[in-house]
Order: sequence, then C-alpha cells, then structure tokens
Amino acid sequence: MKGGRIGTRVLLVVVLLWTVVPLAWMLISSFKPSDKLTASPPSLAFTPTLEHYRSLFGGANDIGGYIQNSLLAAGLSTIIAVALGCLAGYGLARSKFRGKDHLSFWIISTRMAPIAAVILPLFVIFRGAGLLGSTSGLVVAYLTFNLPFAIWIMNAFFADLPPSLEEAAMVDGASRWTAFRRIALPLVLPGIATTAVLCLVFSWNDYAFASTFSGPDSQTLPIAASQLVTQTEIDWGQLTAIGTIVVAPMIVVGLVVRRWLVTGLTLGAVTGE
Amino acid sequence: MATTTVDERPREASAPRAKRKESRYSFEARMMTPALLVLALLSIFPFVYLILMSLSAVGLIGGISLDFVGLDNWTRLFTDSAVGASWLRSVVYFILTVGLEMGLGIAIALLVHELVWGKNIALSLILMPMFMAPVIVGLLGRFLTDSTYGLYAWVLRETGLYSGDILGTTTAAFLAVTLMDVWQWTPLIALIVLAGLASVPGQILEAAKVDGATYLQRLRHIVLPTIAGVIIVALLIRSMDAIRYFDIITNTTNGGPADATKIVPIRLYETGFRFFDLGYAAAIGLSMLAVSILLANVFLRILKRRGLAR
Repeated sequence: MKGGRIGTRVLLVVVLLWTVVPLAWMLISSFKPSDKLTASPPSLAFTPTLEHYRSLFGGANDIGGYIQNSLLAAGLSTIIAVALGCLAGYGLARSKFRGKDHLSFWIISTRMAPIAAVILPLFVIFRGAGLLGSTSGLVVAYLTFNLPFAIWIMNAFFADLPPSLEEAAMVDGASRWTAFRRIALPLVLPGIATTAVLCLVFSWNDYAFASTFSGPDSQTLPIAASQLVTQTEIDWGQLTAIGTIVVAPMIVVGLVVRRWLVTGLTLGAVTGE
Repeated sequence: MATTTVDERPREASAPRAKRKESRYSFEARMMTPALLVLALLSIFPFVYLILMSLSAVGLIGGISLDFVGLDNWTRLFTDSAVGASWLRSVVYFILTVGLEMGLGIAIALLVHELVWGKNIALSLILMPMFMAPVIVGLLGRFLTDSTYGLYAWVLRETGLYSGDILGTTTAAFLAVTLMDVWQWTPLIALIVLAGLASVPGQILEAAKVDGATYLQRLRHIVLPTIAGVIIVALLIRSMDAIRYFDIITNTTNGGPADATKIVPIRLYETGFRFFDLGYAAAIGLSMLAVSILLANVFLRILKRRGLAR
C-alpha cells in the first residue's frame, strides 16, 4: 500500500514535469537576455530582462494592432455564436419533430469539417465577395466552427434543464419568450460562460484561417508570432514573449470554467462534476 | 429579436394540450431560424461550391473562373501516389497521436483520481497545454528541439539518446511533431476520463478490495467497464479534432523533411495555396470531409445509444 502511494507520487511528478517544463521554459526564456537564449548548453543563470516585451510593444513591429485584431475577430464571432446558439440551442432542446436527428447531424458535421477543406471554398468565395484581408471575413470564418459548436452545447445545457420550471412560469401567465428569458436563460449561465470561453479559445488560437484570409489590417496574434520566424533567423526572445502573451489569457479563462469544461468539450456527451 | 418573438398569449399556457404542442413548435422554430439560416449560408453554400470546384479547373487571375473539367480531378486523386502516401502518413500519424493520447490520458486520469490532496491544482496544471494556440505549441517545439540551443535536444544529447538534428531528420521529425500533438491533447483525454471515473460506484470498489481484488483486477473488472462509454466518447471527440487541425506541423516542419510529415491537410493546403491548383485541392478536401462525416455519424450513433442525443 505504502509502495503504491510513493509510486503514485513519482508518476505524478513525471507527468507534471512533462506538462509544465515546456511552458515554464517559454516563460523563463521570455525574460532571458538575447545572448543567453541561444547559448549552448541552455542555462538558467541570467539576469531577467523585459527587453523582449518592451520591443513587442513599441518599436518597429508593435503588436498592439495584432492584439486589437485578435480581440475583435475572436470576440465578435464569440458574441454572435453564443447569442444565436442560445436561441437555437433552446429551440432544439425543447422541440420534437421528425428529422430532428438529421438536423442534429448536419449541425455536428459542420463543426467537424476539416479546417483545410473549409478554407478552400471560403477563400474563393471571400475573394469574390471582397472579404479577404478584413476582420469581418475572419469573423465569418470563425462562425463556421463556433456557431455549430454553440448551438450544440447550448442544446445540451438546456436539455439538462427540466421544462417543468418554464411550464410553471407559463401557468402563471408568462409568455414562452419570458419563460425562456427569465427562467431558462439565467439557469444555464455556467453553460453560456463555458460556451463563450471555448468559442473564444478556438478563435483566438486559430492560425489556419487567419494565415489564409487576413491581410495587413486584420492579422491576429498567432500570425504575428509566426511572422517572427524568418528565413535567416528567429528572434526567440520576442517569440517566447509573444507566446506567453497569446497563451496566458486563454489558460486563465479556460481554468475559470474548468468545472463545466467536460460538458463543453465532449459536446454534451459526458457531464462533469 | 425580442420584439419579433414576444407575441405569445399568456392564456396559451392553460390551453388544451394539443393546441399548446402546436404553438410550441412554432416558437421553437422561430428560436432556431436565425442560427440555422446563418449556418446554412456558412456550410451548404461552401459545400456545394467545394463540389463544383472539384469538378473544375479554378482560375483566380482576373476574377474567379470555374472551367468544368468533369471528373479529371477525381481520377487524378485516385491515381496520385503522392496523395496516397500522404493518406498513409496521415493514418500512421493519427494512430500514433490518438493512440498515445488515449493510453497516456487514461493513465493520467487514473493517477489524478487516486490523489487525495492537491487534486485540483494537479489537474489545473495538467490541463494547461490544451488551451494553447497550436501555432505556439509548434514554435515552442522548434525552440526546444533546436540542435544547438534547444533544451530537449540538449537533454537527449547529454543522456546519449539522440544527437542528430531532430526536425531535420525524417523519423525524428515525425516523432517530434507526434509528441507535440500528444503533449497538447493528452490533457483533454485525461479530463474526460476523469469525469467518467467519478461515476464508478465506490461501494463496489470497496467490496472488491475487501474481497482481496488487486488494483489491476479492480481496474479490469469494475473501473474500465464502467467508463467504457466515456472512453469511446473521448476517442471520438479527439479523433474528429485530430483530423481537423494541422497548425503544429505547418509551424514546425511544414511537411518536410523529404515529405516525412506531409499529412493530407498539409498537402491539401500546399496544393491549393502554394500551387493554386484549387480544383484538385477541392477533390482532396472532399475526400477528407467524407472521413470526418463518417466519424461524426459514429459519434451521434453512440450518443443516441447512451440516451444522450437530444
């Protein structure tokens, strides 16, 4: 028994090291002076500096604009997806009709379509519609995966809610819309938050769509990161700094809704705590 | 939105059941309409367009032109040995990544489940890679495996395990991008399986323990059968996403060296956006879509069998 406990601890340490070391190394490297970054062998003896962060904000390649584009594209597509997803998710959860299975299947298969296969027709359509290089183009592109996701997840959250609560309100004279707005919606707030966080994470982290569709006026943070890689050299100081900036907020918001993540990420197939 | 939908009469709630059902349907339909219209525009139109593209030679110079070429792209697809090689590579990559993620994810879940103290902190730390942008995972992987200053390259060299150029050698590069994916997505499996473990009946486990069943026996006969459904859901969720993404490879090897990591989406992207052979890329894209639709179908069937599709 004792041996088992010690074994468990050792294994846990190994798992934690495997998970955390790359992230910690990125964070540490972002404070390393440039000459120490490419030193061989890698070392931890250095005086921390903010030079990489400073050169990201200000200087020739300021990332302020990229952050703004990222927030705008990811934020807008999240808001639209969650709003429409709440309505449709509720409608789907509360209705019974022939062909509902087919409708569900269509929604889920839209979410599962390989990104490379979606980019192709969208690129040609966007080119024809003049949406290439614009933030609105990115918002539309992100809706292709965020909207079906939001509908499906909100459907799962609403379906977990017994309809009797809304029925009771309606007996008391509330309209369907009021019952939805005042009874059902507040009760699925955790679900809404989870859906919003996951939509935000998916679109904030996107690289494939942004690298194909965005232009100088709409490039997002992941694009800024990949642009630091050039034929001749890679500025690892700036790259680890920008990596930290891209990753940190998503880890924070992701862990905030951790309790409901399982429901969200399994599309409602498994419920968490 | 509010103004268009608030026209239900309050008295309806007390109306006869049959009548209520009928009006219900229309309310729900109106709730679904905006989202479904947008979704139709975003999915059906591109889908039809993709089919048209796959039957055409697509020109982008001086406006878009689709010149019908019949099944040319499709016959080419089925005779192209390079695409065949990419499919094979995709299958190997898929089995390796998803297989390792499932094995390690289940093991980590069992490990964390055993914890009495610090369970929440451990889980939070373990989940972190999952929220990372795959681009950053790829670029960080490049940094860690650089043969002169990479931390992991140095560790491998010092321990005598490997001293070559990791991303510059075919097998090593393939394994490296596989492990980057495994690093990022194993947490997802662990998270899902852990949720399943919460439903394993404690009394039965205790009883088995009292009767002298070893940990492995309990695992095999009680725990795993209970969470089998959850494991299958995890497998399907991960499988569908594994087919979707290709960001890590794009930002590390971009298919190289010598095509060693050129899985189907990388080849599709290259065909479409480097060689601008959009018609042929569309045919490749549709073949990928077929695979993912098949998986989505299986997923929905399993959901229904578990009584969870609503």
